Amino acid sequence: MCEENKELTEMREKLKVLLVDHLSLEDIKPEDIKDDEILFGEGLGLDSLDAVEIVVLLQRNFGLEVKDMNKGREIFYSIDTLAKYVVDNIKDNAD
Amino acid sequence: MPKKIKVKKRGNELGLQIFIIFTKLFGLKGAYSLLYLVSIHYLLFDKVAVKGALAYTERRFKNETFFKKHWRVYQLFINQGKALIDRYAAASGYKGFTFQIKGFDSVKEIVNQNKKGCILVTSHVGNWQVALSCLQELKKDIYLLMRPEDNAAVKKHLKIYSEGEKVKIISLEQDFGGTLEIIEKINNGDVVSIMGDRKYNFPYLDVDFMGDKAGLPLGAFLIAATLECPIIVLLTAKLGHKKYCVDFNNIILPKYENKLNKKQQLKKYMQKYANVLNNYVESYPYQCFLFEDVWNKH
Repeated sequence: MCEENKELTEMREKLKVLLVDHLSLEDIKPEDIKDDEILFGEGLGLDSLDAVEIVVLLQRNFGLEVKDMNKGREIFYSIDTLAKYVVDNIKDNAD
Repeated sequence: MPKKIKVKKRGNELGLQIFIIFTKLFGLKGAYSLLYLVSIHYLLFDKVAVKGALAYTERRFKNETFFKKHWRVYQLFINQGKALIDRYAAASGYKGFTFQIKGFDSVKEIVNQNKKGCILVTSHVGNWQVALSCLQELKKDIYLLMRPEDNAAVKKHLKIYSEGEKVKIISLEQDFGGTLEIIEKINNGDVVSIMGDRKYNFPYLDVDFMGDKAGLPLGAFLIAATLECPIIVLLTAKLGHKKYCVDFNNIILPKYENKLNKKQQLKKYMQKYANVLNNYVESYPYQCFLFEDVWNKH
Protein backbone atom coordinates (compact mmCIF):
# COMPACT_ATOMS: atom_id res chain seq x y z
CA MET A 1 0.00 0.00 0.00
CA CYS A 2 2.74 2.35 1.06
CA GLU A 3 4.79 1.36 -1.97
CA GLU A 4 1.80 2.16 -4.23
CA ASN A 5 1.39 5.60 -2.69
CA LYS A 6 5.06 6.29 -3.18
CA GLU A 7 4.80 5.24 -6.82
CA LEU A 8 1.82 7.54 -7.37
CA THR A 9 3.51 10.45 -5.64
CA GLU A 10 6.61 10.02 -7.78
CA MET A 11 4.51 9.77 -10.93
CA ARG A 12 2.62 12.97 -10.07
CA GLU A 13 5.90 14.83 -9.68
CA LYS A 14 7.29 13.35 -12.88
CA LEU A 15 4.15 14.31 -14.82
CA LYS A 16 4.20 17.86 -13.49
CA VAL A 17 7.79 18.25 -14.71
CA LEU A 18 6.89 16.77 -18.11
CA LEU A 19 3.83 19.02 -18.51
CA VAL A 20 5.73 22.19 -17.66
CA ASP A 21 8.56 21.10 -19.94
CA HIS A 22 6.49 20.07 -22.97
CA LEU A 23 3.60 22.51 -22.82
CA SER A 24 5.71 25.65 -22.52
CA LEU A 25 3.67 26.71 -19.49
CA GLU A 26 4.83 30.25 -18.86
CA ASP A 27 5.68 31.28 -15.31
CA ILE A 28 4.49 27.96 -13.91
CA LYS A 29 6.77 25.64 -12.00
CA PRO A 30 6.01 21.95 -11.45
CA GLU A 31 5.45 22.60 -7.75
CA ASP A 32 2.79 25.23 -8.56
CA ILE A 33 0.47 22.58 -10.01
CA LYS A 34 -1.84 21.07 -7.42
CA ASP A 35 -2.50 17.34 -7.55
CA ASP A 36 -6.27 17.80 -7.88
CA GLU A 37 -6.22 20.96 -10.03
CA ILE A 38 -8.43 20.69 -13.14
CA LEU A 39 -6.07 20.63 -16.12
CA PHE A 40 -8.33 21.80 -18.97
CA GLY A 41 -10.47 24.92 -19.13
CA GLU A 42 -10.72 26.44 -15.68
CA GLY A 43 -7.86 25.47 -13.38
CA LEU A 44 -4.56 25.16 -15.21
CA GLY A 45 -6.20 26.43 -18.41
CA LEU A 46 -4.93 23.88 -20.92
CA ASP A 47 -6.65 23.75 -24.31
CA SER A 48 -7.50 21.03 -26.82
CA LEU A 49 -4.11 21.36 -28.50
CA ASP A 50 -2.32 20.76 -25.21
CA ALA A 51 -4.14 17.42 -25.18
CA VAL A 52 -2.13 16.50 -28.30
CA GLU A 53 1.12 17.12 -26.41
CA ILE A 54 -0.08 15.09 -23.43
CA VAL A 55 -1.11 12.14 -25.61
CA VAL A 56 2.27 12.12 -27.37
CA LEU A 57 4.07 12.60 -24.07
CA LEU A 58 2.31 9.51 -22.66
CA GLN A 59 3.19 7.55 -25.80
CA ARG A 60 6.85 8.50 -25.85
CA ASN A 61 7.58 8.37 -22.13
CA PHE A 62 5.40 5.48 -20.99
CA GLY A 63 4.34 3.64 -24.17
CA LEU A 64 0.68 4.35 -23.40
CA GLU A 65 -2.03 5.24 -25.91
CA VAL A 66 -5.22 7.10 -25.13
CA LYS A 67 -7.74 6.45 -27.88
CA ASP A 68 -11.08 6.48 -26.15
CA MET A 69 -12.55 9.99 -26.06
CA ASN A 70 -14.62 9.32 -22.94
CA LYS A 71 -11.65 7.83 -21.14
CA GLY A 72 -9.60 10.83 -22.21
CA ARG A 73 -11.94 13.17 -20.38
CA GLU A 74 -11.50 11.19 -17.13
CA ILE A 75 -7.77 10.60 -17.53
CA PHE A 76 -6.93 14.22 -18.32
CA TYR A 77 -9.02 15.65 -15.49
CA SER A 78 -6.14 16.34 -13.09
CA ILE A 79 -2.57 15.31 -12.27
CA ASP A 80 -4.06 12.80 -9.82
CA THR A 81 -6.15 11.04 -12.48
CA LEU A 82 -3.35 11.19 -15.03
CA ALA A 83 -0.80 9.69 -12.61
CA LYS A 84 -3.22 6.94 -11.60
CA TYR A 85 -3.83 6.06 -15.25
CA VAL A 86 -0.11 5.89 -16.01
CA VAL A 87 0.77 3.82 -12.93
CA ASP A 88 -2.12 1.39 -13.48
CA ASN A 89 -1.43 0.92 -17.16
CA ILE A 90 2.33 0.61 -16.89
CA LYS A 91 1.62 -2.23 -14.44
CA ASP A 92 -0.93 -3.77 -16.82
CA ASN A 93 1.55 -3.61 -19.69
CA ALA A 94 4.26 -5.17 -17.53
CA ASP A 95 1.91 -8.02 -16.54
CA MET B 1 -16.30 20.22 -22.39
CA PRO B 2 -17.35 19.78 -26.07
CA LYS B 3 -17.86 23.16 -27.73
CA LYS B 4 -20.94 23.89 -29.81
CA ILE B 5 -19.85 26.13 -32.65
CA LYS B 6 -22.46 28.66 -33.68
CA VAL B 7 -22.81 29.09 -37.43
CA LYS B 8 -25.70 30.81 -39.19
CA LYS B 9 -27.87 28.38 -41.18
CA ARG B 10 -28.22 29.18 -44.87
CA GLY B 11 -30.33 27.35 -47.46
CA ASN B 12 -33.58 25.50 -46.89
CA GLU B 13 -35.29 22.45 -48.38
CA LEU B 14 -37.45 24.41 -50.84
CA GLY B 15 -34.60 26.59 -52.07
CA LEU B 16 -32.28 23.64 -52.61
CA GLN B 17 -35.03 21.66 -54.34
CA ILE B 18 -35.51 24.52 -56.81
CA PHE B 19 -31.80 24.48 -57.62
CA ILE B 20 -31.85 20.72 -58.08
CA ILE B 21 -34.86 20.87 -60.41
CA PHE B 22 -33.21 23.62 -62.46
CA THR B 23 -30.01 21.56 -62.66
CA LYS B 24 -31.93 18.51 -63.86
CA LEU B 25 -34.05 20.45 -66.36
CA PHE B 26 -31.66 23.06 -67.68
CA GLY B 27 -28.20 21.78 -66.72
CA LEU B 28 -25.60 23.55 -64.63
CA LYS B 29 -25.82 26.84 -66.49
CA GLY B 30 -29.59 26.89 -65.95
CA ALA B 31 -29.07 26.45 -62.21
CA TYR B 32 -26.33 29.10 -62.20
CA SER B 33 -28.82 31.62 -63.65
CA LEU B 34 -30.84 31.50 -60.43
CA LEU B 35 -27.81 32.62 -58.49
CA TYR B 36 -27.96 36.16 -59.86
CA LEU B 37 -31.24 36.76 -58.01
CA VAL B 38 -30.49 34.71 -54.93
CA SER B 39 -27.17 36.52 -54.45
CA ILE B 40 -28.99 39.88 -54.47
CA HIS B 41 -31.10 38.57 -51.59
CA TYR B 42 -27.99 37.62 -49.62
CA LEU B 43 -26.32 40.92 -50.47
CA LEU B 44 -29.30 42.85 -49.09
CA PHE B 45 -30.26 40.74 -46.09
CA ASP B 46 -27.33 38.57 -44.91
CA LYS B 47 -25.37 41.17 -42.99
CA VAL B 48 -23.03 38.59 -41.42
CA ALA B 49 -21.95 37.17 -44.79
CA VAL B 50 -21.61 40.64 -46.35
CA LYS B 51 -19.51 41.91 -43.44
CA GLY B 52 -17.27 38.83 -43.63
CA ALA B 53 -16.89 39.16 -47.40
CA LEU B 54 -16.16 42.90 -47.17
CA ALA B 55 -13.28 42.17 -44.78
CA TYR B 56 -11.74 40.25 -47.67
CA THR B 57 -12.67 42.49 -50.62
CA GLU B 58 -11.47 45.62 -48.83
CA ARG B 59 -8.02 44.05 -48.52
CA ARG B 60 -7.92 42.37 -51.90
CA PHE B 61 -9.22 45.39 -53.86
CA LYS B 62 -8.09 48.42 -51.91
CA ASN B 63 -9.70 51.88 -51.78
CA GLU B 64 -12.88 51.21 -53.69
CA THR B 65 -16.25 52.95 -53.55
CA PHE B 66 -19.17 51.56 -51.56
CA PHE B 67 -20.86 50.35 -54.75
CA LYS B 68 -17.75 48.71 -56.18
CA LYS B 69 -16.96 46.92 -52.90
CA HIS B 70 -20.46 45.50 -52.74
CA TRP B 71 -20.33 44.53 -56.41
CA ARG B 72 -17.27 42.40 -55.58
CA VAL B 73 -19.17 40.76 -52.70
CA TYR B 74 -22.04 40.02 -55.09
CA GLN B 75 -19.60 38.33 -57.48
CA LEU B 76 -18.23 36.25 -54.61
CA PHE B 77 -21.71 35.09 -53.60
CA ILE B 78 -22.48 34.04 -57.18
CA ASN B 79 -19.23 32.12 -57.46
CA GLN B 80 -19.79 30.35 -54.18
CA GLY B 81 -23.24 29.35 -55.41
CA LYS B 82 -21.65 27.94 -58.57
CA ALA B 83 -19.17 25.98 -56.44
CA LEU B 84 -22.03 24.47 -54.41
CA ILE B 85 -23.98 23.54 -57.54
CA ASP B 86 -20.85 21.94 -59.00
CA ARG B 87 -20.35 20.10 -55.74
CA TYR B 88 -23.89 18.74 -55.90
CA ALA B 89 -23.51 17.79 -59.58
CA ALA B 90 -20.13 16.08 -59.13
CA ALA B 91 -21.34 14.12 -56.10
CA SER B 92 -24.52 13.14 -57.96
CA GLY B 93 -22.55 11.63 -60.80
CA TYR B 94 -22.98 14.32 -63.47
CA LYS B 95 -20.43 13.59 -66.20
CA GLY B 96 -17.96 15.91 -67.82
CA PHE B 97 -16.02 17.35 -64.87
CA THR B 98 -12.33 17.50 -65.59
CA PHE B 99 -9.56 17.96 -63.06
CA GLN B 100 -6.09 19.24 -63.77
CA ILE B 101 -4.17 17.66 -60.91
CA LYS B 102 -0.80 19.02 -59.78
CA GLY B 103 1.62 17.40 -57.34
CA PHE B 104 -0.37 14.26 -56.63
CA ASP B 105 2.69 12.01 -57.08
CA SER B 106 4.32 13.69 -54.05
CA VAL B 107 1.21 13.00 -51.99
CA LYS B 108 1.19 9.35 -53.01
CA GLU B 109 4.89 9.08 -52.17
CA ILE B 110 4.42 10.64 -48.73
CA VAL B 111 1.40 8.54 -47.88
CA ASN B 112 2.89 5.28 -49.12
CA GLN B 113 6.37 5.76 -47.66
CA ASN B 114 5.40 6.99 -44.21
CA LYS B 115 3.95 4.68 -41.63
CA LYS B 116 2.21 7.72 -40.26
CA GLY B 117 -0.50 9.49 -42.19
CA CYS B 118 -0.56 13.17 -43.02
CA ILE B 119 -2.65 16.28 -42.57
CA LEU B 120 -4.39 17.76 -45.56
CA VAL B 121 -4.96 21.45 -44.91
CA THR B 122 -7.97 22.77 -46.76
CA SER B 123 -9.19 26.35 -46.99
CA HIS B 124 -12.35 28.25 -47.84
CA VAL B 125 -11.13 28.89 -51.36
CA GLY B 126 -12.14 27.22 -54.60
CA ASN B 127 -14.14 24.05 -54.18
CA TRP B 128 -12.17 21.65 -51.99
CA GLN B 129 -15.05 19.19 -51.78
CA VAL B 130 -14.87 18.37 -55.50
CA ALA B 131 -11.21 17.45 -55.00
CA LEU B 132 -12.03 14.73 -52.49
CA SER B 133 -12.83 12.30 -55.26
CA CYS B 134 -9.21 12.62 -56.45
CA LEU B 135 -8.03 11.33 -53.07
CA GLN B 136 -9.80 7.99 -53.47
CA GLU B 137 -6.75 6.84 -55.42
CA LEU B 138 -4.64 6.94 -52.24
CA LYS B 139 -6.46 3.86 -50.93
CA LYS B 140 -6.41 5.38 -47.45
CA ASP B 141 -9.25 6.44 -45.24
CA ILE B 142 -9.79 10.19 -45.41
CA TYR B 143 -11.11 11.92 -42.30
CA LEU B 144 -12.57 15.42 -42.38
CA LEU B 145 -12.37 17.40 -39.16
CA MET B 146 -15.49 19.50 -39.29
CA ARG B 147 -18.48 20.82 -37.45
CA PRO B 148 -21.31 18.37 -38.09
CA GLU B 149 -23.70 19.90 -40.66
CA ASP B 150 -26.85 20.67 -38.72
CA ASN B 151 -28.82 21.96 -41.68
CA ALA B 152 -30.62 18.79 -42.77
CA ALA B 153 -31.46 20.17 -46.22
CA VAL B 154 -27.85 21.09 -46.96
CA LYS B 155 -26.62 17.75 -45.60
CA LYS B 156 -29.05 15.79 -47.76
CA HIS B 157 -28.78 17.64 -51.04
CA LEU B 158 -25.14 18.69 -51.07
CA LYS B 159 -24.17 15.15 -50.09
CA ILE B 160 -21.83 16.39 -47.41
CA TYR B 161 -20.79 12.88 -46.37
CA SER B 162 -21.15 11.21 -49.71
CA GLU B 163 -17.68 10.29 -50.91
CA GLY B 164 -18.34 6.72 -49.93
CA GLU B 165 -16.84 4.77 -47.09
CA LYS B 166 -13.41 6.26 -47.63
CA VAL B 167 -14.41 9.71 -46.37
CA LYS B 168 -15.43 9.97 -42.73
CA ILE B 169 -16.09 12.80 -40.34
CA ILE B 170 -14.30 13.67 -37.11
CA SER B 171 -16.48 16.12 -35.21
CA LEU B 172 -14.96 19.34 -33.94
CA GLU B 173 -17.70 19.45 -31.34
CA GLN B 174 -16.41 16.70 -29.09
CA ASP B 175 -13.99 16.54 -26.19
CA PHE B 176 -10.62 18.16 -26.95
CA GLY B 177 -11.96 19.32 -30.34
CA GLY B 178 -11.49 15.83 -31.80
CA THR B 179 -7.71 15.89 -31.28
CA LEU B 180 -7.52 12.43 -29.67
CA GLU B 181 -9.26 10.90 -32.68
CA ILE B 182 -7.00 12.82 -35.08
CA ILE B 183 -3.89 11.46 -33.37
CA GLU B 184 -5.23 7.91 -33.60
CA LYS B 185 -6.01 8.23 -37.31
CA ILE B 186 -2.65 9.78 -38.21
CA ASN B 187 -0.82 7.11 -36.22
CA ASN B 188 -2.82 4.54 -38.22
CA GLY B 189 -1.47 6.04 -41.46
CA ASP B 190 -4.69 7.76 -42.54
CA VAL B 191 -5.20 11.23 -43.99
CA VAL B 192 -6.92 13.85 -41.83
CA SER B 193 -8.24 16.98 -43.49
CA ILE B 194 -8.31 20.12 -41.34
CA MET B 195 -9.47 23.62 -42.32
CA GLY B 196 -6.56 26.00 -41.95
CA ASP B 197 -8.20 29.39 -42.27
CA ARG B 198 -11.07 29.71 -39.79
CA LYS B 199 -10.23 29.74 -36.12
CA TYR B 200 -13.73 29.51 -34.56
CA ASN B 201 -12.93 29.51 -30.83
CA PHE B 202 -9.75 27.49 -31.10
CA PRO B 203 -6.19 28.68 -30.41
CA TYR B 204 -4.65 30.79 -33.15
CA LEU B 205 -1.58 32.78 -34.09
CA ASP B 206 -1.31 36.05 -35.96
CA VAL B 207 0.36 35.89 -39.36
CA ASP B 208 0.66 38.33 -42.25
CA PHE B 209 -2.16 37.79 -44.71
CA MET B 210 -3.08 40.22 -47.45
CA GLY B 211 -1.17 43.06 -45.86
CA ASP B 212 -2.64 42.75 -42.34
CA LYS B 213 -2.28 40.53 -39.30
CA ALA B 214 -4.78 37.69 -39.48
CA GLY B 215 -5.53 35.11 -36.81
CA LEU B 216 -5.25 31.60 -38.27
CA PRO B 217 -5.84 28.44 -36.25
CA LEU B 218 -2.66 26.65 -35.25
CA GLY B 219 -4.27 23.23 -34.72
CA ALA B 220 -3.11 21.51 -37.91
CA PHE B 221 0.43 22.83 -37.52
CA LEU B 222 0.75 21.92 -33.86
CA ILE B 223 -0.55 18.39 -34.46
CA ALA B 224 1.83 17.94 -37.42
CA ALA B 225 4.85 19.19 -35.45
CA THR B 226 4.01 17.07 -32.42
CA LEU B 227 3.32 13.88 -34.38
CA GLU B 228 6.10 14.63 -36.88
CA CYS B 229 3.88 14.21 -39.92
CA PRO B 230 3.70 16.34 -43.08
CA ILE B 231 1.08 18.91 -44.02
CA ILE B 232 -0.18 18.97 -47.59
CA VAL B 233 -2.01 22.14 -48.56
CA LEU B 234 -4.93 21.35 -50.85
CA LEU B 235 -5.90 24.10 -53.26
CA THR B 236 -8.62 23.94 -55.87
CA ALA B 237 -9.70 26.51 -58.41
CA LYS B 238 -12.41 26.61 -60.99
CA LEU B 239 -10.74 27.22 -64.36
CA GLY B 240 -13.83 27.09 -66.53
CA HIS B 241 -17.13 25.31 -67.01
CA LYS B 242 -16.81 21.90 -65.29
CA LYS B 243 -13.06 22.40 -65.25
CA TYR B 244 -11.05 22.47 -62.03
CA CYS B 245 -7.42 22.62 -61.01
CA VAL B 246 -6.42 20.62 -57.91
CA ASP B 247 -3.03 21.56 -56.53
CA PHE B 248 -1.16 19.41 -53.96
CA ASN B 249 2.22 21.02 -54.60
CA ASN B 250 2.54 22.89 -51.31
CA ILE B 251 3.97 20.60 -48.65
CA ILE B 252 4.94 21.94 -45.24
CA LEU B 253 6.93 20.03 -42.62
CA PRO B 254 6.42 21.76 -39.26
CA LYS B 255 9.17 20.97 -36.77
CA TYR B 256 10.06 22.17 -33.29
CA GLU B 257 13.64 23.39 -32.87
CA ASN B 258 13.49 23.09 -29.07
CA LYS B 259 11.01 22.90 -26.21
CA LEU B 260 10.82 26.63 -25.61
CA ASN B 261 7.69 28.50 -26.63
CA LYS B 262 6.58 25.80 -29.02
CA LYS B 263 3.46 27.55 -30.30
CA GLN B 264 5.47 30.57 -31.44
CA GLN B 265 7.84 28.24 -33.29
CA LEU B 266 4.95 27.24 -35.52
CA LYS B 267 4.53 30.78 -36.76
CA LYS B 268 6.97 30.45 -39.66
CA TYR B 269 5.16 27.37 -40.97
CA MET B 270 1.78 29.07 -40.64
CA GLN B 271 3.22 32.06 -42.48
CA LYS B 272 4.18 29.73 -45.33
CA TYR B 273 0.56 28.60 -45.51
CA ALA B 274 -0.69 32.20 -45.38
CA ASN B 275 1.69 33.04 -48.25
CA VAL B 276 0.25 30.15 -50.28
CA LEU B 277 -3.26 31.54 -49.68
CA ASN B 278 -2.06 35.03 -50.51
CA ASN B 279 -0.76 33.85 -53.88
CA TYR B 280 -4.02 32.00 -54.47
CA VAL B 281 -6.24 35.06 -53.95
CA GLU B 282 -3.95 37.06 -56.20
CA SER B 283 -4.61 34.53 -58.97
CA TYR B 284 -8.27 33.76 -58.21
CA PRO B 285 -9.75 36.81 -56.46
CA TYR B 286 -13.36 35.66 -56.83
CA GLN B 287 -12.82 32.20 -55.39
CA CYS B 288 -12.09 33.17 -51.79
CA PHE B 289 -15.15 32.12 -49.76
CA LEU B 290 -13.76 32.77 -46.32
CA PHE B 291 -16.66 35.08 -45.39
CA GLU B 292 -15.15 35.74 -42.00
CA ASP B 293 -13.16 38.66 -40.72
CA VAL B 294 -10.03 36.73 -39.76
CA TRP B 295 -8.26 40.06 -39.33
CA ASN B 296 -10.56 41.07 -36.49
CA LYS B 297 -9.13 40.11 -33.11
CA HIS B 298 -12.47 39.98 -31.30
